[in-house]
Amino acid sequence: MSKIGLRTALLLGAVLAVAPAAAQKVDLDPGIQPYAAVSGISGNLSSVGSDTLNNLMTLWSEGFRKLYPSVRVQVEGKGSSTAPPALIEGTAQFGPMSRAMKNREADEFEARFGYPPVPMRVAVDALAVYVHKDNPLERLTLAEVDAIFSKNRRCGLAAGIDSWDQLGVGGALDGEPIRLYGRNSASGTYGYFKNVALCKGDFRDTTKEQPGSASVVQGVTEDLSGIGYSGIGYRTSGVRTLVLAAEEGGAYASTEPGDVYSGAYPLARFLYVYVNKPPNEKLEPLSEEFLRFVFSQAGQEIVLKDGYLPLPAAIADQELAKLD
Amino acid sequence: MTRLAAGALAICLALVAGLIVLIAARGLGYFWQSPIELFELADGTRVLGEVWNWEPRPGGAGRRVRLAVGNRDLTGADFRWIDESEILRRSRPEDAGVFERLEWGKFYGFPAQLLRGDRIAASGAEVWKEIRPLLAEKAEVRARIARLHGGEIDDVNRELERIRIELRQLRRRGLADSERTPILEAEREEYQRRYEAHLVQLRELEDELLAETLVLRAADGSLVRLPAGHAVRAVRANRLRLPQRLGLYASRLAEFLLDDPRESNTEGGIFPAIFGTVMMVFLTSLAVAPFGVLAAIYLREYARDGAFVRLVRISVNSLAGVPSIVFGVFGLGFFVYLVGGSIDQLFYPDRLPAPTFGTGGILWASLTLALLTVPVVIVSTEEGLTSVPRGVREGSFALGATKFETLRRVIVPAALPGVLTGIILAMARAAGEVAPLMIVGMVKLAPSLPIDAHFPFVHLERKFMHLGFHIYDVGFQSPNVEAVQPLVFATALLLILVVLSTNLAAILLRNRLRRKYASSGV
Repeated sequence: MSKIGLRTALLLGAVLAVAPAAAQKVDLDPGIQPYAAVSGISGNLSSVGSDTLNNLMTLWSEGFRKLYPSVRVQVEGKGSSTAPPALIEGTAQFGPMSRAMKNREADEFEARFGYPPVPMRVAVDALAVYVHKDNPLERLTLAEVDAIFSKNRRCGLAAGIDSWDQLGVGGALDGEPIRLYGRNSASGTYGYFKNVALCKGDFRDTTKEQPGSASVVQGVTEDLSGIGYSGIGYRTSGVRTLVLAAEEGGAYASTEPGDVYSGAYPLARFLYVYVNKPPNEKLEPLSEEFLRFVFSQAGQEIVLKDGYLPLPAAIADQELAKLD
Repeated sequence: MTRLAAGALAICLALVAGLIVLIAARGLGYFWQSPIELFELADGTRVLGEVWNWEPRPGGAGRRVRLAVGNRDLTGADFRWIDESEILRRSRPEDAGVFERLEWGKFYGFPAQLLRGDRIAASGAEVWKEIRPLLAEKAEVRARIARLHGGEIDDVNRELERIRIELRQLRRRGLADSERTPILEAEREEYQRRYEAHLVQLRELEDELLAETLVLRAADGSLVRLPAGHAVRAVRANRLRLPQRLGLYASRLAEFLLDDPRESNTEGGIFPAIFGTVMMVFLTSLAVAPFGVLAAIYLREYARDGAFVRLVRISVNSLAGVPSIVFGVFGLGFFVYLVGGSIDQLFYPDRLPAPTFGTGGILWASLTLALLTVPVVIVSTEEGLTSVPRGVREGSFALGATKFETLRRVIVPAALPGVLTGIILAMARAAGEVAPLMIVGMVKLAPSLPIDAHFPFVHLERKFMHLGFHIYDVGFQSPNVEAVQPLVFATALLLILVVLSTNLAAILLRNRLRRKYASSGV
């Protein structure tokens, strides 16, 4: 498991004690505070970045604008890689990203401003591996996922997995080749999956790179022998998510909230919003209130509505502390 | 040969017609209300929803059905597949309804109670009688909230923003202690007070939305409380007669065309996108027409034919073949960063670091598209100019007209249909182009239209929404992609209609002009 994945797992594992109980329906952590509106908030906000977070940012802005009718929020989402340049150029106050910033990106930011950008963890996502709803496959290890998606198999399996019978899937899929659906390289989901599931290996050239997370799911829905990865928020009735194990012989974990919060699910990750905040200085009130809204009950309720998992209260508090 | 050509034409027409029929069939069904069915399954569960489609089960026997079941807050999914073999009974309960909500999408279920405050005002099927007037009343309250948002509160905020910028300006010039500061401060307090007053008003209206609560029962028995003000529509689908069904269709279609989007563009309407598309096409043709026509006139009438002119022509023609995304990158580098950035430095230094023109906007998008389409206008204008008979030209000279007079009075009017053809082609290209716009100002959600009632009325620096991008966004990025698929088709149909109608308008204009100049004897 790569560094980033491990770190996520540790962080998530550390908050297990306060995490909501595993259940079909997720509830908010009762420790998350309600939002208290303040006066004198107006102006324009702009957000440029991840398309995984696109809907979430839009929903947050809709909710925020109900409290502060005069605030205008613009949301642009064409991939996580578009966030750092927008923050550096000053064209956006928020840079939503579905992966952590790479060192190179953070360095560029620091070279311009003299301090690093501040990452805010805003929600929890389980990157799910989807197959068609009629595909009987239940579970995979990460090494198998790697052997399916990667051409150089850095995670250790000797041979690639090209057809469904290699995974023991028979029936209509017997002898059928596996068709791969993935994201384009500007996407943070692409980067995260490459780092964690592929051990930084390369995707096979046969991967059909899709312009959006929903189109990956759409592609798998239409293709019985398809397999693809996308955020858990994009699940539909046409696909199934697979149960994954980090290593051979290890425990399998599902995308159910319990497994995700405990860190057992190997592809759990945080979603980030990056801001340009000088150390020892407060953000301007508008941006700060927006973030406070995001970490409030109302904001995390919206996370649920979009199909992602809300933050545990401990993490929300840590993030709020960054604002001071 | 004739048959071959006719056959090719027939295939083309069939393809276009097929495309439009497919899009229309998939898109227009979205607004139609099907009956709601209750499925009782072999394992004892009850599922309520609309039948979406049937398909054969893999590996042979039987069929299965996809039901739109809504209730995303309870189940986490909008759709459910059910095997035909599991279905014990199907029925269409009279009391069942679909409740369109402001949040969480549709709810399929039965009304259990209507609460006014804590008091039960109606229960069971009785609730249906109360719902219609109640929701109409709430829609009125929502409209008042929207007016308050867009009107008074917006005004106050503009003033506050103006004061904030002026104060910053003073501070930057080192005049923070000047006598203007306390005046501004006082003004600010006054506006702040007004804002608070409006806010109180707003909260009262919002409380009104919450005054009544609908208690709804899902098919599995679980109860959901829905504030009446958060219900957009309540439809007793199994009791609708045809006229009511058509009325519902019209009302949903009107919402789609005229309302703002909700729930991250997956619900509500797409009016801002329609508006943005039309306005951008208009601005583009405004920019491209004079530019392209003058260039063509120079090339054809004034420039001496030589190596240079030929080089320019070759360049113009190759420009037409450059992929549109390249223009987008150029627009970003040149218009947005260089021109826009300089404008900000010169005219809006007080708003920095928040950019005004130094970020994508409708002006930059239109200019980028104007660049993209200028070759089309140049080429067809040149064609038009060439087609003016030599005799006409010489006749004009013979009557003593100067070169400019000949151009203005004789040649350009005669070439006008060609010019307009070029502009029409340019508009069609501009309306259909999406890729370059994604980097020069098109956004998923623009908070306000580029035209409004505030000075200077046309805000060219604002970002805008576009039908083409809306299709891309909703189709590829929406978390609830199953449910919004018909919406994508409906939007695509609308985009085609917008392109068709702008072209049609331009063609009608051209024909009128052609008649006018034809009768003037040229």
